[in-house]
Amino acid sequence: MAASLGYPEYAEGDFEMWCVAPPQLVETVKVTSPTGKVIEGAYIDSVFVPEMLSRFKTAKRKVLSAMELAQKNDIAITALGGFTSIIFENLNLLKEQQIRNTKLQWERFTTGNTHTAWVIAQQVVHNAPRLGIHLDRAKVAVVGASGDIGSAVCRWLQRQGVGELLLVARRPQPLLDLQAELGSGRVLELNEALAEADVVIWVASLPQGLSIDADLLPRPCLMIDGGYPKNLDSRFSGDGVHVIKGGIVEFWQDLGWQMMEMADMANPRRQLFACFAEAMLLEFEGIHTNFSWGRNNITLANMDRIGEASLRHGFRALALEPIQAASLIPA
Amino acid sequence: MAVSLSDLSPNPSPSIGLGSGVDAPAEAVLPDFTSESYKDAYSRINAIVIEGEQEAHDNYLSLATLLPDQADELARLARMEMKHKKGFTACAANLGVEADMPFARVFFSPLRDNFQQALSEGKLVTCLLIQSILIEAFAIAAYHIYIPVADPFARKITEGVVQDEYTHLNYGQEWLKANLEAARLELEEANRANLPHVRRMLEQVADDAGVLHMEKEDLMADFMTSYQEVLTEIGFTSREIARMATAALLG
Repeated sequence: MAASLGYPEYAEGDFEMWCVAPPQLVETVKVTSPTGKVIEGAYIDSVFVPEMLSRFKTAKRKVLSAMELAQKNDIAITALGGFTSIIFENLNLLKEQQIRNTKLQWERFTTGNTHTAWVIAQQVVHNAPRLGIHLDRAKVAVVGASGDIGSAVCRWLQRQGVGELLLVARRPQPLLDLQAELGSGRVLELNEALAEADVVIWVASLPQGLSIDADLLPRPCLMIDGGYPKNLDSRFSGDGVHVIKGGIVEFWQDLGWQMMEMADMANPRRQLFACFAEAMLLEFEGIHTNFSWGRNNITLANMDRIGEASLRHGFRALALEPIQAASLIPA
Repeated sequence: MAVSLSDLSPNPSPSIGLGSGVDAPAEAVLPDFTSESYKDAYSRINAIVIEGEQEAHDNYLSLATLLPDQADELARLARMEMKHKKGFTACAANLGVEADMPFARVFFSPLRDNFQQALSEGKLVTCLLIQSILIEAFAIAAYHIYIPVADPFARKITEGVVQDEYTHLNYGQEWLKANLEAARLELEEANRANLPHVRRMLEQVADDAGVLHMEKEDLMADFMTSYQEVLTEIGFTSREIARMATAALLG
């Protein structure tokens, strides 16, 4: 990645050098909404690799330094990417507001999770019927249901009306809390849920080594792969199981940036993570605040608000390919 | 302005599940300031700091001979460095430690020799790079990393010093920014010659710094951040800076 972004020297460096490398403002971009409004932004890379997750001081420094760089560049609203969000949350970086000589202003940052949750909900609602799945009687499993995105998706789908929500997560207590809050939904083990689910929404990544029997799944089955990295397609897709990359949006025209080339997007010029798009939407709408922040604060009203903005400014949730959908609808 | 901030790692590993792997650690534990091993390491680290402030003082006065119209400002910076030196001397006294000054003078000799050589040749850009960028960024990194693990007395003093040092970093930055096109070649050359010394200096003190609970990786990363920041302000692109930085890191 470093080489393709124009940093051949970093690409040649070893892990130790990657650990000390400062964050990089890699590129700037102008984005035009169908409304005609133009915004400017930048992509900042925190120079983070997954191996650093086990080095908490490195991980913490990477995230805070990247945030510092965004703030020093006077960027009004910054979306934290996948790992960045996870580290921020798990290391409780809210108490680390001072980084070097900068006091971080939290209102300049968003996790982007409200938009991601809304996009995932759209992906369910628009694609299930294309597979002949009737949502009003479908069982929808949410794996990672008690997380920030997962719980928001559950609330949204409950309001939308689905047959039944199947709630799956690693830790039982937050799941029971969510069930109490929803007043519905069934708490299940992963394999129990998969055996019943017409729709599976993954908002936790699959741990390595976890074996899942794809034969368990009812057919047809719609899977929304909202984890990171997106690795469900190769494991499940085919034979009546249809996988969509979750939380990905496509813009109405090419974005003039390079960075998504590295993110394994089918159309990297137009497709991007919904969390990144949230920063763009907040700028388009002039909402300069930490719209998505903390855990389990996502409201339906905010999902509706960001969803309307998403449509207005030319974003569409990634959908099943037409052929993929057509092949499955019962004759 | 909107922005996306991320971490598109080159080889995302499938083993990283959401929420796995990183958990909040316990708060940093302060070292035992009274232990013999602490005092021993402190005698060298503190000496480096005192010597660094002395050299900074001398270097700013020397720079005034090349920039006579800015002699007053440079004399003011030099006075601040003297004040810092006194503060850090008090820190050692407070812990009952005698600074190992002979060690520190040897420690600084490569950068001091290069500064003196450049001074004698009237190479202002090289002098500014060595003092106002490399030494100041090195000092700021050391102070940043030291503050959370310092004894209460030293912590207070260091917090005051670090604010001053930013203005010193800024001094060289503004001059080089205003004269970048003329200075560029000499700056790059001086960087190639001197940045590797900074890395060696960090490696040389890594063990002693570790006794003080200052980690080498944190020091290096903080240095790199200041270094990148000041070169960005001067007008280098991030790719040029990466090239300049890695020349030292990889070489």
